[in-house]
Amino acid sequence: MEIRKVGRYAWRYGWAALTVCAVFTLLALSYEAVQDARSAIMILLQNWALAAITFYLLIFLVLLIFRFALLILYSFMDHLESLYKERDKSAVLYREDSSLPMISLVVPAYNEGPVIQAAMRALLALDYPNYEIIVVDDGSTDDTYEKAMVVASESVALEVRVVTKRNGGKADALNTGMTLARGEFVLNMDGDTKLSPNALRACIRHFENPKVGAVAGNVKVINRENMWTRIQALEYVEGLAMARKAQSFGRVVNIIPGPLGMFRKSVLQQVGGYDRDTFAEDCDLTLKLLMRGWHIEYEPTAIAWVETPSHLLDLLQQRYRWTRGILQATRKHSQALWQPRKAGINCYILWYMMFEGVMWPISNIVGNLFFIFVALQYDVTFVLFFWWLQLMLLDVVAAAYCVVIEEEEPSLIFYAIVFRLFYINIIDISKVFATIEEWRGKAMTWGKLEREGKL
Amino acid sequence: MDIIAILAYVILFTTIGTMVIGVFAYFAFKLRDKRKPGKNRSDETMDVGGPLEPVFLERYVPGVTTDLAVQPATDDR
Repeated sequence: MEIRKVGRYAWRYGWAALTVCAVFTLLALSYEAVQDARSAIMILLQNWALAAITFYLLIFLVLLIFRFALLILYSFMDHLESLYKERDKSAVLYREDSSLPMISLVVPAYNEGPVIQAAMRALLALDYPNYEIIVVDDGSTDDTYEKAMVVASESVALEVRVVTKRNGGKADALNTGMTLARGEFVLNMDGDTKLSPNALRACIRHFENPKVGAVAGNVKVINRENMWTRIQALEYVEGLAMARKAQSFGRVVNIIPGPLGMFRKSVLQQVGGYDRDTFAEDCDLTLKLLMRGWHIEYEPTAIAWVETPSHLLDLLQQRYRWTRGILQATRKHSQALWQPRKAGINCYILWYMMFEGVMWPISNIVGNLFFIFVALQYDVTFVLFFWWLQLMLLDVVAAAYCVVIEEEEPSLIFYAIVFRLFYINIIDISKVFATIEEWRGKAMTWGKLEREGKL
Repeated sequence: MDIIAILAYVILFTTIGTMVIGVFAYFAFKLRDKRKPGKNRSDETMDVGGPLEPVFLERYVPGVTTDLAVQPATDDR
Protein backbone atom coordinates (compact mmCIF):
# COMPACT_ATOMS: atom_id res chain seq x y z
CA MET A 1 0.00 0.00 0.00
CA GLU A 2 2.77 2.39 1.05
CA ILE A 3 4.85 1.48 -2.01
CA ARG A 4 1.89 2.17 -4.29
CA LYS A 5 1.40 5.57 -2.65
CA VAL A 6 5.07 6.45 -3.09
CA GLY A 7 4.87 5.29 -6.70
CA ARG A 8 1.86 7.53 -7.32
CA TYR A 9 3.67 10.50 -5.83
CA ALA A 10 6.81 9.77 -7.87
CA TRP A 11 4.70 9.52 -11.03
CA ARG A 12 2.98 12.86 -10.37
CA TYR A 13 6.10 14.72 -9.23
CA GLY A 14 8.13 13.15 -12.05
CA TRP A 15 5.70 14.36 -14.69
CA ALA A 16 5.53 17.83 -13.19
CA ALA A 17 9.34 18.13 -13.03
CA LEU A 18 9.75 16.74 -16.56
CA THR A 19 7.27 19.21 -18.05
CA VAL A 20 8.82 22.21 -16.34
CA CYS A 21 12.30 21.07 -17.46
CA ALA A 22 11.06 20.66 -21.05
CA VAL A 23 9.61 24.16 -21.15
CA PHE A 24 12.74 25.71 -19.64
CA THR A 25 14.89 23.85 -22.17
CA LEU A 26 12.76 25.25 -24.98
CA LEU A 27 13.13 28.71 -23.47
CA ALA A 28 16.92 28.33 -23.24
CA LEU A 29 17.09 27.20 -26.88
CA SER A 30 14.96 30.11 -28.00
CA TYR A 31 17.23 32.52 -26.13
CA GLU A 32 19.87 31.93 -28.78
CA ALA A 33 17.38 32.81 -31.50
CA VAL A 34 16.50 36.02 -29.64
CA GLN A 35 20.20 36.94 -29.50
CA ASP A 36 20.54 36.38 -33.25
CA ALA A 37 17.43 38.38 -34.02
CA ARG A 38 18.12 41.30 -31.72
CA SER A 39 18.22 43.75 -34.59
CA ALA A 40 14.88 42.47 -35.92
CA ILE A 41 13.29 42.93 -32.49
CA MET A 42 14.27 46.61 -32.66
CA ILE A 43 11.45 46.87 -35.23
CA LEU A 44 9.13 46.95 -32.23
CA LEU A 45 10.58 50.34 -31.28
CA GLN A 46 10.50 51.73 -34.81
CA ASN A 47 7.68 54.21 -34.26
CA TRP A 48 5.85 55.57 -31.24
CA ALA A 49 2.68 53.49 -31.74
CA LEU A 50 4.59 50.19 -31.89
CA ALA A 51 6.79 51.26 -28.97
CA ALA A 52 3.77 52.24 -26.85
CA ILE A 53 2.03 48.89 -27.38
CA THR A 54 5.29 47.01 -26.77
CA PHE A 55 5.77 48.95 -23.53
CA TYR A 56 2.14 48.23 -22.46
CA LEU A 57 2.55 44.51 -23.17
CA LEU A 58 5.83 44.48 -21.27
CA ILE A 59 4.11 46.00 -18.22
CA PHE A 60 1.30 43.45 -18.57
CA LEU A 61 3.82 40.60 -18.73
CA VAL A 62 5.63 41.87 -15.61
CA LEU A 63 2.27 42.11 -13.78
CA LEU A 64 1.40 38.60 -14.91
CA ILE A 65 4.71 37.14 -13.71
CA PHE A 66 4.26 39.00 -10.42
CA ARG A 67 0.71 37.63 -10.13
CA PHE A 68 1.76 34.02 -10.73
CA ALA A 69 4.72 34.28 -8.36
CA LEU A 70 2.65 35.85 -5.59
CA LEU A 71 -0.22 33.37 -5.93
CA ILE A 72 2.11 30.36 -5.91
CA LEU A 73 3.98 31.74 -2.89
CA TYR A 74 0.86 32.51 -0.84
CA SER A 75 -0.96 29.34 -1.81
CA PHE A 76 2.07 27.31 -0.78
CA MET A 77 2.13 29.15 2.55
CA ASP A 78 -1.56 28.36 3.00
CA HIS A 79 -0.82 24.74 2.14
CA LEU A 80 1.88 24.61 4.82
CA GLU A 81 -0.45 26.29 7.32
CA SER A 82 -3.19 23.70 6.70
CA LEU A 83 -0.65 20.86 7.08
CA TYR A 84 0.45 22.39 10.38
CA LYS A 85 -3.17 22.73 11.57
CA GLU A 86 -3.87 19.13 10.62
CA ARG A 87 -1.00 18.03 12.83
CA ASP A 88 -2.10 20.24 15.72
CA LYS A 89 -5.55 18.84 16.39
CA SER A 90 -5.57 19.62 20.11
CA ALA A 91 -7.30 22.98 19.62
CA VAL A 92 -10.29 21.58 17.73
CA LEU A 93 -13.58 22.63 19.33
CA TYR A 94 -16.00 20.54 17.27
CA ARG A 95 -14.23 17.23 17.87
CA GLU A 96 -17.13 15.29 19.42
CA ASP A 97 -20.07 14.38 17.22
CA SER A 98 -22.50 15.59 19.88
CA SER A 99 -20.90 19.05 19.86
CA LEU A 100 -21.24 19.51 16.11
CA PRO A 101 -23.71 22.27 15.22
CA MET A 102 -26.62 21.78 12.86
CA ILE A 103 -26.05 22.57 9.20
CA SER A 104 -28.83 23.29 6.71
CA LEU A 105 -28.03 22.32 3.14
CA VAL A 106 -29.86 24.52 0.66
CA VAL A 107 -30.15 23.12 -2.87
CA PRO A 108 -31.69 25.54 -5.37
CA ALA A 109 -32.90 23.68 -8.43
CA TYR A 110 -34.23 24.95 -11.72
CA ASN A 111 -34.69 22.32 -14.43
CA GLU A 112 -32.14 20.01 -12.84
CA GLY A 113 -34.21 16.91 -13.61
CA PRO A 114 -31.36 14.81 -15.06
CA VAL A 115 -29.04 15.40 -12.08
CA ILE A 116 -31.12 16.27 -9.01
CA GLN A 117 -31.56 12.69 -7.75
CA ALA A 118 -27.85 11.84 -7.95
CA ALA A 119 -27.01 15.10 -6.18
CA MET A 120 -29.57 14.48 -3.41
CA ARG A 121 -28.53 10.85 -2.89
CA ALA A 122 -24.93 12.03 -2.46
CA LEU A 123 -26.18 14.45 0.19
CA LEU A 124 -27.94 11.66 2.09
CA ALA A 125 -24.60 9.86 2.38
CA LEU A 126 -22.65 12.75 3.90
CA ASP A 127 -20.51 11.99 6.91
CA TYR A 128 -22.04 14.38 9.47
CA PRO A 129 -24.40 13.69 12.38
CA ASN A 130 -26.53 16.83 12.43
CA TYR A 131 -27.87 18.25 9.18
CA GLU A 132 -31.00 18.81 7.14
CA ILE A 133 -31.57 19.15 3.40
CA ILE A 134 -33.81 21.80 1.85
CA VAL A 135 -34.41 21.53 -1.89
CA VAL A 136 -35.93 24.68 -3.38
CA ASP A 137 -37.52 24.02 -6.76
CA ASP A 138 -37.43 27.40 -8.46
CA GLY A 139 -40.49 26.87 -10.65
CA SER A 140 -38.86 24.25 -12.88
CA THR A 141 -40.62 23.41 -16.11
CA ASP A 142 -39.29 19.84 -16.10
CA ASP A 143 -39.71 17.03 -13.52
CA THR A 144 -37.19 18.37 -11.00
CA TYR A 145 -39.78 18.68 -8.22
CA GLU A 146 -41.24 15.20 -8.75
CA LYS A 147 -37.79 13.61 -8.86
CA ALA A 148 -36.70 15.47 -5.72
CA MET A 149 -39.85 14.27 -3.94
CA VAL A 150 -39.00 10.65 -4.78
CA VAL A 151 -35.58 10.92 -3.08
CA ALA A 152 -37.10 12.88 -0.16
CA SER A 153 -39.59 10.07 0.49
CA GLU A 154 -36.74 7.51 0.49
CA SER A 155 -35.01 9.29 3.38
CA VAL A 156 -36.02 8.03 6.81
CA ALA A 157 -33.26 9.05 9.18
CA LEU A 158 -32.63 12.48 7.73
CA GLU A 159 -35.05 15.34 7.25
CA VAL A 160 -35.37 16.33 3.61
CA ARG A 161 -37.72 19.16 2.70
CA VAL A 162 -38.68 19.89 -0.88
CA VAL A 163 -40.41 23.17 -1.53
CA THR A 164 -41.56 24.65 -4.77
CA LYS A 165 -42.01 28.30 -5.61
CA ARG A 166 -42.56 30.59 -8.54
CA ASN A 167 -39.48 31.06 -10.69
CA GLY A 168 -37.53 33.97 -9.28
CA GLY A 169 -33.90 33.19 -10.06
CA LYS A 170 -31.14 31.46 -8.14
CA ALA A 171 -30.65 34.27 -5.62
CA ASP A 172 -34.35 34.16 -4.75
CA ALA A 173 -34.28 30.37 -4.33
CA LEU A 174 -31.23 30.56 -2.05
CA ASN A 175 -32.89 33.26 0.05
CA THR A 176 -36.00 31.08 0.38
CA GLY A 177 -33.80 28.19 1.52
CA MET A 178 -31.99 30.43 3.99
CA THR A 179 -35.31 31.55 5.49
CA LEU A 180 -36.42 27.95 5.94
CA ALA A 181 -33.06 26.82 7.35
CA ARG A 182 -33.05 25.78 10.98
CA GLY A 183 -29.33 25.23 11.29
CA GLU A 184 -26.81 27.62 12.77
CA PHE A 185 -24.81 27.20 9.57
CA VAL A 186 -26.07 27.15 6.00
CA LEU A 187 -24.39 25.31 3.16
CA ASN A 188 -25.42 26.65 -0.22
CA MET A 189 -24.81 24.54 -3.26
CA ASP A 190 -26.07 23.99 -6.80
CA GLY A 191 -28.63 21.43 -7.86
CA ASP A 192 -26.13 19.80 -10.22
CA THR A 193 -23.44 19.33 -7.58
CA LYS A 194 -22.25 16.19 -5.86
CA LEU A 195 -20.45 16.77 -2.53
CA SER A 196 -17.62 14.67 -1.13
CA PRO A 197 -18.72 12.82 2.05
CA ASN A 198 -16.32 14.80 4.29
CA ALA A 199 -17.47 18.23 3.00
CA LEU A 200 -19.44 19.28 6.10
CA ARG A 201 -16.86 18.13 8.66
CA ALA A 202 -14.06 19.77 6.68
CA CYS A 203 -15.83 23.14 6.37
CA ILE A 204 -17.24 23.42 9.88
CA ARG A 205 -13.75 23.35 11.45
CA HIS A 206 -13.04 26.80 10.03
CA PHE A 207 -15.84 28.36 12.07
CA GLU A 208 -13.91 27.74 15.28
CA ASN A 209 -12.51 31.16 14.46
CA PRO A 210 -15.33 33.63 15.24
CA LYS A 211 -14.04 36.06 12.59
CA VAL A 212 -14.72 33.55 9.81
CA GLY A 213 -18.08 34.29 8.20
CA ALA A 214 -17.93 31.82 5.34
CA VAL A 215 -15.90 28.99 3.84
CA ALA A 216 -15.44 28.32 0.13
CA GLY A 217 -15.21 24.72 -1.01
CA ASN A 218 -13.13 23.08 -3.72
CA VAL A 219 -14.88 22.57 -7.08
CA LYS A 220 -13.81 19.81 -9.44
CA VAL A 221 -14.99 18.73 -12.85
CA ILE A 222 -16.70 15.33 -12.95
CA ASN A 223 -17.32 14.97 -16.71
CA ARG A 224 -13.73 14.89 -18.03
CA GLU A 225 -14.79 13.40 -21.32
CA ASN A 226 -13.43 15.65 -24.06
CA MET A 227 -10.88 18.40 -24.65
CA TRP A 228 -13.20 21.20 -23.49
CA THR A 229 -14.07 19.60 -20.18
CA ARG A 230 -10.48 18.49 -19.49
CA ILE A 231 -9.18 22.01 -20.02
CA GLN A 232 -11.92 23.29 -17.72
CA ALA A 233 -10.80 20.69 -15.15
CA LEU A 234 -7.34 22.26 -15.30
CA GLU A 235 -8.82 25.76 -15.09
CA TYR A 236 -10.78 24.83 -11.97
CA VAL A 237 -7.72 23.22 -10.38
CA GLU A 238 -5.60 26.29 -11.12
CA GLY A 239 -8.25 28.77 -10.06
CA LEU A 240 -8.81 27.02 -6.76
CA ALA A 241 -5.50 25.43 -5.82
CA MET A 242 -3.58 28.56 -6.68
CA ALA A 243 -5.82 31.63 -6.57
CA ARG A 244 -8.31 30.66 -3.84
CA LYS A 245 -5.64 29.04 -1.70
CA ALA A 246 -3.48 32.17 -1.92
CA GLN A 247 -6.46 34.36 -1.03
CA SER A 248 -7.33 32.02 1.81
CA PHE A 249 -3.92 32.72 3.36
CA GLY A 250 -5.09 36.32 3.78
CA ARG A 251 -8.68 35.16 4.67
CA VAL A 252 -9.96 37.15 1.69
CA VAL A 253 -11.34 34.60 -0.77
CA ASN A 254 -13.08 36.78 -3.35
CA ILE A 255 -15.62 34.30 -4.73
CA ILE A 256 -17.35 31.64 -2.69
CA PRO A 257 -18.26 29.25 -5.50
CA GLY A 258 -21.95 28.52 -6.07
CA PRO A 259 -21.44 24.73 -5.92
CA LEU A 260 -20.10 24.77 -2.34
CA GLY A 261 -20.09 27.57 0.18
CA MET A 262 -20.81 27.38 3.89
CA PHE A 263 -21.98 30.44 5.85
CA ARG A 264 -22.93 31.43 9.35
CA LYS A 265 -26.68 31.96 9.07
CA SER A 266 -26.41 35.09 11.22
CA VAL A 267 -23.91 36.54 8.73
CA LEU A 268 -26.20 35.80 5.79
CA GLN A 269 -29.03 37.55 7.62
CA GLN A 270 -26.78 40.47 8.53
CA VAL A 271 -25.89 41.17 4.90
CA GLY A 272 -29.46 40.60 3.72
CA GLY A 273 -28.83 37.34 1.85
CA TYR A 274 -28.37 37.26 -1.89
CA ASP A 275 -29.19 40.30 -4.01
CA ARG A 276 -30.90 39.87 -7.35
CA ASP A 277 -29.23 42.75 -9.16
CA THR A 278 -26.24 40.85 -10.56
CA PHE A 279 -25.74 37.68 -12.57
CA ALA A 280 -22.96 36.53 -10.21
CA GLU A 281 -24.86 36.37 -6.93
CA ASP A 282 -22.10 34.29 -5.30
CA CYS A 283 -19.42 36.89 -6.11
CA ASP A 284 -21.70 39.73 -4.98
CA LEU A 285 -22.47 38.04 -1.66
CA THR A 286 -18.78 37.32 -1.07
CA LEU A 287 -17.91 40.97 -1.65
CA LYS A 288 -20.69 42.03 0.73
CA LEU A 289 -19.18 39.79 3.42
CA LEU A 290 -15.67 41.07 2.78
CA MET A 291 -16.81 44.71 2.90
CA ARG A 292 -18.28 44.05 6.35
CA GLY A 293 -14.95 42.69 7.52
CA TRP A 294 -15.78 38.99 7.69
CA HIS A 295 -12.96 36.55 7.04
CA ILE A 296 -13.50 34.01 4.26
CA GLU A 297 -11.41 30.86 4.06
CA TYR A 298 -11.00 28.07 1.52
CA GLU A 299 -11.24 24.36 2.31
CA PRO A 300 -9.48 22.22 -0.33
CA THR A 301 -10.64 18.86 1.04
CA ALA A 302 -14.35 19.72 0.84
CA ILE A 303 -15.00 18.86 -2.79
CA ALA A 304 -18.01 19.66 -4.95
CA TRP A 305 -18.09 17.67 -8.19
CA VAL A 306 -19.81 19.57 -10.97
CA GLU A 307 -20.80 18.97 -14.58
CA THR A 308 -19.19 21.54 -16.87
CA PRO A 309 -20.25 22.50 -20.42
CA SER A 310 -18.94 19.96 -22.90
CA HIS A 311 -19.75 22.01 -26.01
CA LEU A 312 -18.15 25.27 -27.11
CA LEU A 313 -21.31 27.38 -27.34
CA ASP A 314 -22.51 26.29 -23.88
CA LEU A 315 -19.09 27.13 -22.51
CA LEU A 316 -19.17 30.59 -24.09
CA GLN A 317 -22.65 31.15 -22.67
CA GLN A 318 -21.38 30.31 -19.17
CA ARG A 319 -18.27 32.49 -19.45
CA TYR A 320 -20.28 35.37 -20.88
CA ARG A 321 -22.58 35.29 -17.85
CA TRP A 322 -19.67 34.95 -15.38
CA THR A 323 -17.79 37.85 -16.94
CA ARG A 324 -20.78 40.20 -16.92
CA GLY A 325 -21.85 39.03 -13.46
CA ILE A 326 -18.42 39.63 -11.95
CA LEU A 327 -18.25 43.06 -13.59
CA GLN A 328 -21.70 43.91 -12.19
CA ALA A 329 -20.64 42.82 -8.69
CA THR A 330 -17.37 44.76 -8.95
CA ARG A 331 -19.20 47.89 -10.12
CA LYS A 332 -21.67 47.54 -7.25
CA HIS A 333 -18.83 47.71 -4.74
CA SER A 334 -16.66 50.05 -6.82
CA GLN A 335 -16.45 52.72 -4.12
CA ALA A 336 -13.82 50.50 -2.47
CA LEU A 337 -11.65 50.74 -5.61
CA TRP A 338 -10.85 54.37 -4.85
CA GLN A 339 -10.63 54.21 -1.05
CA PRO A 340 -7.54 52.14 -0.21
CA ARG A 341 -7.34 53.51 3.32
CA LYS A 342 -10.97 52.89 4.18
CA ALA A 343 -11.46 49.66 2.25
CA GLY A 344 -8.06 48.19 3.14
CA ILE A 345 -7.40 44.82 1.55
CA ASN A 346 -10.83 44.87 -0.17
CA CYS A 347 -9.49 47.63 -2.42
CA TYR A 348 -6.71 45.33 -3.65
CA ILE A 349 -9.17 42.44 -4.05
CA LEU A 350 -11.32 44.56 -6.36
CA TRP A 351 -8.32 45.72 -8.38
CA TYR A 352 -7.21 42.10 -8.66
CA MET A 353 -10.68 41.20 -9.98
CA MET A 354 -10.49 44.04 -12.50
CA PHE A 355 -7.09 42.77 -13.64
CA GLU A 356 -8.36 39.20 -14.06
CA GLY A 357 -11.71 40.12 -15.57
CA VAL A 358 -10.85 43.05 -17.81
CA MET A 359 -7.15 43.71 -18.27
CA TRP A 360 -6.04 40.13 -18.77
CA PRO A 361 -8.41 39.13 -21.62
CA ILE A 362 -8.02 42.50 -23.36
CA SER A 363 -4.23 42.35 -23.10
CA ASN A 364 -4.17 38.79 -24.45
CA ILE A 365 -6.15 39.84 -27.51
CA VAL A 366 -4.20 43.09 -27.98
CA GLY A 367 -0.95 41.09 -27.69
CA ASN A 368 -2.05 38.51 -30.23
CA LEU A 369 -3.31 41.08 -32.73
CA PHE A 370 -0.19 43.20 -32.29
CA PHE A 371 2.24 40.35 -32.82
CA ILE A 372 0.23 38.98 -35.76
CA PHE A 373 0.44 42.44 -37.34
CA VAL A 374 4.19 42.68 -36.67
CA ALA A 375 4.74 39.14 -37.98
CA LEU A 376 2.89 39.81 -41.23
CA GLN A 377 4.07 43.38 -41.75
CA TYR A 378 7.77 43.01 -40.94
CA ASP A 379 8.17 39.24 -41.43
CA VAL A 380 9.31 38.63 -37.85
CA THR A 381 7.08 35.68 -36.95
CA PHE A 382 9.26 34.57 -34.05
CA VAL A 383 8.23 37.53 -31.83
CA LEU A 384 4.71 36.06 -31.66
CA PHE A 385 6.26 32.72 -30.77
CA PHE A 386 8.32 34.26 -27.92
CA TRP A 387 5.26 36.10 -26.61
CA TRP A 388 3.27 32.85 -26.68
CA LEU A 389 6.15 30.88 -25.16
CA GLN A 390 6.41 33.17 -22.15
CA LEU A 391 2.68 32.95 -21.43
CA MET A 392 2.74 29.20 -21.97
CA LEU A 393 5.69 28.86 -19.59
CA LEU A 394 3.69 30.58 -16.84
CA ASP A 395 0.69 28.33 -17.55
CA VAL A 396 2.73 25.13 -17.47
CA VAL A 397 4.58 26.04 -14.27
CA ALA A 398 1.25 26.91 -12.59
CA ALA A 399 -0.36 23.70 -13.88
CA ALA A 400 2.53 21.55 -12.64
CA TYR A 401 2.40 23.21 -9.22
CA CYS A 402 -1.39 22.77 -8.95
CA VAL A 403 -1.33 19.14 -10.07
CA VAL A 404 1.18 18.37 -7.32
CA ILE A 405 -0.64 20.34 -4.59
CA GLU A 406 -4.11 19.08 -5.54
CA GLU A 407 -2.90 15.51 -6.21
CA GLU A 408 -4.52 15.66 -9.63
CA GLU A 409 -3.93 13.71 -12.86
CA PRO A 410 -0.50 14.59 -14.35
CA SER A 411 -2.08 14.55 -17.84
CA LEU A 412 -3.72 17.88 -16.98
CA ILE A 413 -0.30 19.55 -17.34
CA PHE A 414 -0.41 18.76 -21.06
CA TYR A 415 -3.69 20.65 -21.32
CA ALA A 416 -1.89 23.84 -20.20
CA ILE A 417 -0.32 23.87 -23.69
CA VAL A 418 -3.66 23.24 -25.39
CA PHE A 419 -5.15 25.90 -23.13
CA ARG A 420 -2.70 28.52 -24.39
CA LEU A 421 -2.73 27.29 -27.98
CA PHE A 422 -6.50 27.19 -28.65
CA TYR A 423 -8.76 27.57 -25.69
CA ILE A 424 -7.90 30.91 -24.12
CA ASN A 425 -8.03 32.85 -27.41
CA ILE A 426 -11.62 31.72 -27.99
CA ILE A 427 -12.70 32.35 -24.39
CA ASP A 428 -10.99 35.75 -24.18
CA ILE A 429 -12.84 37.01 -27.26
CA SER A 430 -16.12 36.12 -25.59
CA LYS A 431 -15.00 37.83 -22.37
CA VAL A 432 -14.03 41.01 -24.20
CA PHE A 433 -17.38 41.12 -26.02
CA ALA A 434 -19.14 40.53 -22.68
CA THR A 435 -17.16 43.43 -21.14
CA ILE A 436 -18.13 45.72 -24.02
CA GLU A 437 -21.80 44.74 -23.74
CA GLU A 438 -21.75 45.26 -19.98
CA TRP A 439 -20.16 48.67 -20.48
CA ARG A 440 -22.86 49.55 -23.03
CA GLY A 441 -25.54 48.29 -20.62
CA LYS A 442 -27.01 45.71 -22.98
CA ALA A 443 -29.80 43.56 -21.52
CA MET A 444 -29.02 39.91 -20.79
CA THR A 445 -30.69 36.73 -19.55
CA TRP A 446 -29.48 34.04 -17.17
CA GLY A 447 -28.85 31.49 -19.93
CA LYS A 448 -29.52 28.20 -18.20
CA LEU A 449 -27.31 25.32 -19.35
CA GLU A 450 -28.88 22.04 -20.34
CA ARG A 451 -27.73 19.26 -18.01
CA GLU A 452 -26.54 15.96 -19.42
CA GLY A 453 -26.88 13.96 -16.20
CA LYS A 454 -23.20 13.02 -15.82
CA LEU A 455 -23.21 13.12 -12.00
CA MET B 1 14.31 26.44 -41.63
CA ASP B 2 15.07 25.84 -37.94
CA ILE B 3 12.68 24.53 -35.31
CA ILE B 4 11.97 27.99 -33.87
CA ALA B 5 10.85 29.30 -37.27
CA ILE B 6 8.58 26.29 -37.82
CA LEU B 7 7.06 26.64 -34.35
CA ALA B 8 6.62 30.37 -34.95
CA TYR B 9 4.56 29.69 -38.08
CA VAL B 10 2.50 27.04 -36.26
CA ILE B 11 1.71 29.54 -33.49
CA LEU B 12 0.95 32.29 -36.03
CA PHE B 13 -1.59 30.21 -37.95
CA THR B 14 -3.09 28.73 -34.79
CA THR B 15 -3.52 32.15 -33.21
CA ILE B 16 -5.16 33.62 -36.29
CA GLY B 17 -7.39 30.52 -36.65
CA THR B 18 -8.52 30.44 -33.02
CA MET B 19 -9.25 34.16 -32.97
CA VAL B 20 -11.44 33.81 -36.06
CA ILE B 21 -13.17 30.78 -34.48
CA GLY B 22 -13.60 32.81 -31.29
CA VAL B 23 -15.41 35.62 -33.10
CA PHE B 24 -17.65 33.25 -35.08
CA ALA B 25 -18.38 31.13 -31.99
CA TYR B 26 -19.36 34.24 -30.03
CA PHE B 27 -21.82 35.38 -32.70
CA ALA B 28 -23.17 31.83 -33.01
CA PHE B 29 -23.83 31.76 -29.27
CA LYS B 30 -25.52 35.17 -29.38
CA LEU B 31 -27.67 34.06 -32.31
CA ARG B 32 -28.69 30.89 -30.50
CA ASP B 33 -29.41 32.88 -27.35
CA LYS B 34 -31.68 35.29 -29.22
CA ARG B 35 -33.73 32.55 -30.84
CA LYS B 36 -36.34 31.76 -28.24
CA PRO B 37 -39.87 30.45 -28.40
CA GLY B 38 -42.25 33.40 -28.24
CA LYS B 39 -45.94 33.68 -27.48
CA ASN B 40 -46.54 35.67 -30.64
CA ARG B 41 -45.00 33.09 -32.91
CA SER B 42 -47.56 31.21 -34.86
CA ASP B 43 -47.24 27.64 -36.01
CA GLU B 44 -49.17 26.84 -39.19
CA THR B 45 -49.04 23.11 -38.47
CA MET B 46 -50.56 23.47 -34.99
CA ASP B 47 -53.92 21.87 -34.11
CA VAL B 48 -56.78 24.33 -34.62
CA GLY B 49 -57.74 23.83 -30.99
CA GLY B 50 -54.48 25.49 -29.89
CA PRO B 51 -51.97 24.19 -27.36
CA LEU B 52 -53.39 21.92 -24.67
CA GLU B 53 -52.92 22.82 -21.00
CA PRO B 54 -52.40 19.90 -18.61
CA VAL B 55 -55.64 19.54 -16.65
CA PHE B 56 -54.77 17.05 -13.91
CA LEU B 57 -51.09 17.84 -13.38
CA GLU B 58 -51.18 21.45 -12.35
CA ARG B 59 -48.36 22.19 -9.96
CA TYR B 60 -48.96 23.56 -6.51
CA VAL B 61 -47.42 27.00 -6.07
CA PRO B 62 -47.53 28.54 -2.59
CA GLY B 63 -49.28 31.89 -2.39
CA VAL B 64 -51.39 31.38 -5.48
CA THR B 65 -55.11 30.97 -4.79
CA THR B 66 -56.58 28.11 -6.71
CA ASP B 67 -59.95 26.44 -6.54
CA LEU B 68 -59.05 23.42 -4.43
CA ALA B 69 -62.35 21.74 -5.23
CA VAL B 70 -61.27 21.09 -8.78
CA GLN B 71 -57.55 20.59 -8.06
CA PRO B 72 -55.99 17.23 -7.27
CA ALA B 73 -54.31 16.81 -3.87
CA THR B 74 -50.60 17.58 -3.96
CA ASP B 75 -47.92 15.64 -2.13
CA ASP B 76 -46.01 18.73 -1.06
CA ARG B 77 -44.73 18.50 2.47
